[in-house]
Amino acid sequence: MQTIGILLARSTYYQTIGFDLYEGLRSGLKHLGRNDIKIVTENIGFGADKQQCYRSAEKLLLEEDASVVIAYIGHRMAQLLRPLFLAANKMLIVLDAGANLPQEWSACPNIFYHSLHNSLGASLAAKQATNDGYTSAGMVTGYYDGGYLHTYSISKSFEETGGTISFNHATGYKTEDFTIEPLKNHLEEFPNSALLSLFSGDFVQWYFKGIKNSFEEQNLPVYLPPFGFEEMMLSDTEYPSNNIKGIAAWSKKINSVENKIFLETITNTGRIPNLFSLLSWESAAITLKIIELIDEHKNNISLIAVGLQSFAFEGPRGRIYFDSKTNTSIAPLYNASIIATNEGKCEVQIESEATGVFEHFEKLTTQELNNSTSAWYNSYACI
Amino acid sequence: MPVFNMDTTKKILVLCGGKFAFPALQLLAYEKFICGIGIGKGSDTIIEALERESKDSNIGFKSFCNKKSMLEMRAWIDDLQPDYIFCISFPFLLPETILSYGHDKFINFHPGPLPQYRGVMPIFEVLKNQETETAICAHFMNSKFDEGNIIFNDPIAIQKGDTYGKLTVKLSERMAQVTLNMANMLQFASSIPNQPQDETISCYYEKPQLSDTYINWKRMDADEIIALINACNPWNIGADATLFGEQIKIIVASLLHEPHENQPGTIVSLNDTINIACEDNMQIAIEILSTDKGIMTAAQFALLYPVPTSTLN
Repeated sequence: MQTIGILLARSTYYQTIGFDLYEGLRSGLKHLGRNDIKIVTENIGFGADKQQCYRSAEKLLLEEDASVVIAYIGHRMAQLLRPLFLAANKMLIVLDAGANLPQEWSACPNIFYHSLHNSLGASLAAKQATNDGYTSAGMVTGYYDGGYLHTYSISKSFEETGGTISFNHATGYKTEDFTIEPLKNHLEEFPNSALLSLFSGDFVQWYFKGIKNSFEEQNLPVYLPPFGFEEMMLSDTEYPSNNIKGIAAWSKKINSVENKIFLETITNTGRIPNLFSLLSWESAAITLKIIELIDEHKNNISLIAVGLQSFAFEGPRGRIYFDSKTNTSIAPLYNASIIATNEGKCEVQIESEATGVFEHFEKLTTQELNNSTSAWYNSYACI
Repeated sequence: MPVFNMDTTKKILVLCGGKFAFPALQLLAYEKFICGIGIGKGSDTIIEALERESKDSNIGFKSFCNKKSMLEMRAWIDDLQPDYIFCISFPFLLPETILSYGHDKFINFHPGPLPQYRGVMPIFEVLKNQETETAICAHFMNSKFDEGNIIFNDPIAIQKGDTYGKLTVKLSERMAQVTLNMANMLQFASSIPNQPQDETISCYYEKPQLSDTYINWKRMDADEIIALINACNPWNIGADATLFGEQIKIIVASLLHEPHENQPGTIVSLNDTINIACEDNMQIAIEILSTDKGIMTAAQFALLYPVPTSTLN
């Protein structure tokens, strides 16, 4: 019997993340006719403890003899695991939020990144703002979200398309420290500024609540990356204003056969489909392709990598393929906005498919980071 | 956010051969892994710089200027008590008297894929052989050069046009991350996976001689010649050839997709570049070369040697 290992992270504000990741993979494999495959899980906490991550991966490889390991981790933790997978001659699929930009995009044949592209989406959201006529913007984030380099991609993109970052506001991560009050002064000094906003999880709720309370009916122009459009969180978030848009990675409203199957399957398991179950659902197709390639190429990792680089499939968010320079998956991104439900909560509206996604991704991978670094090891949204 | 108990960080001693190892030394020192640095055959400037940095960072330092000085190495290691010893282009073979400190404690980082590229200059060999990929190989050491059990080969792409110099810089920078990855592996792993080298695909390359760096116009096609020129720049100045009975070195040249009807090695034309006929009906365009009169461009060469056609070697 084939064994697949999955490293599961936990999150205080996405309490079901581990279950979502597991169920997405399990249901995805079942949908593809492979419920005979054994899935072995290991807990990696918030994905920040090097020892725990390494030992968990080591256990899956050496004790469980997993053919493939899947992990919801970032680039930095993947780098830590790189020698282990090289030494063991095994494949690692990194389920990547895409919130960070790596210091180097060096492709390792043993590691493939399946991404939600938060940094890329942030970059495209900033471009939307300049296309909408904004030449001034403020970057708004929090202590946690601000530690990832999507901050760099969103501000760099706005500047490259002719805009100026006029102010930055990074708020605290505890309830009592979270405030957007300083935005009042900033917006008085720089009126007509777009708010390039980077939040995830509970912080989206807190941010929207702050906008509703402090800037009611002002319809501030807020631009969000994919994690700002996470629907599970939005469904419980008060609708703040009429001018919130950006780039979504996925929505339950995407009208396709694949998305319908995904939604129905996950819902039937008693879970709410979200970005995490989506990512691991899609990883099932990648995993099966790797297993097929392992057999075809008799464990020759270089040939397996070449085979995977030319692999493409239809997922719930559209056609997914790999960039061979970085071994990173490319998926469609969507121009989206936030609308109100009848109950006054938030809902995603997909406007259109974003254009030039791959070209923007290529640009992002060749962009100099100008000594910007991130100290966060956590799997994104895992605190 | 990172959880890292510094009290239990592994102590690593690094033996190196010079500035190729500097990025790795900096990163390992930044991550607090280094307890000592040993350098073999380095220049005085580099030795002084390393000694000063080591002293400032409270890291042990020792220079091994010749084989005789290697007799002092074991006592130095016993004194520092490192958990592991990393070798990055260290020029001397470590004898059994030193390796007996712990056979699973010595790890060499070879700047080429093993077992295919054993030897002292794998960067030259992979370029000369027109490989599209090389690797840094981490392997346990034994008393023979490059023959211990392999831990991993970490691959690195070779770009078209990479010279020995460019690839060396790229490998030196990549070496930093690879050695840090290895250090983290030693820090966190319960065992280090490794396997014996496959002798059926092994190859040992001796240090290149003139016959290895010399362009044989009659036997080498244009791609091979360009690869050799790149592989010789800058360590050998360039690839060796003979022109008008004079020994020259071709430093920079590119492929010219123009057929010709000349003998291989004939100068077909001489303008901004010196265009030479190759045996596969292609030409190479020499841009920079070194003669007894100095390093010069093709245009400068044309002024000094106004001979329209001639044959190289």
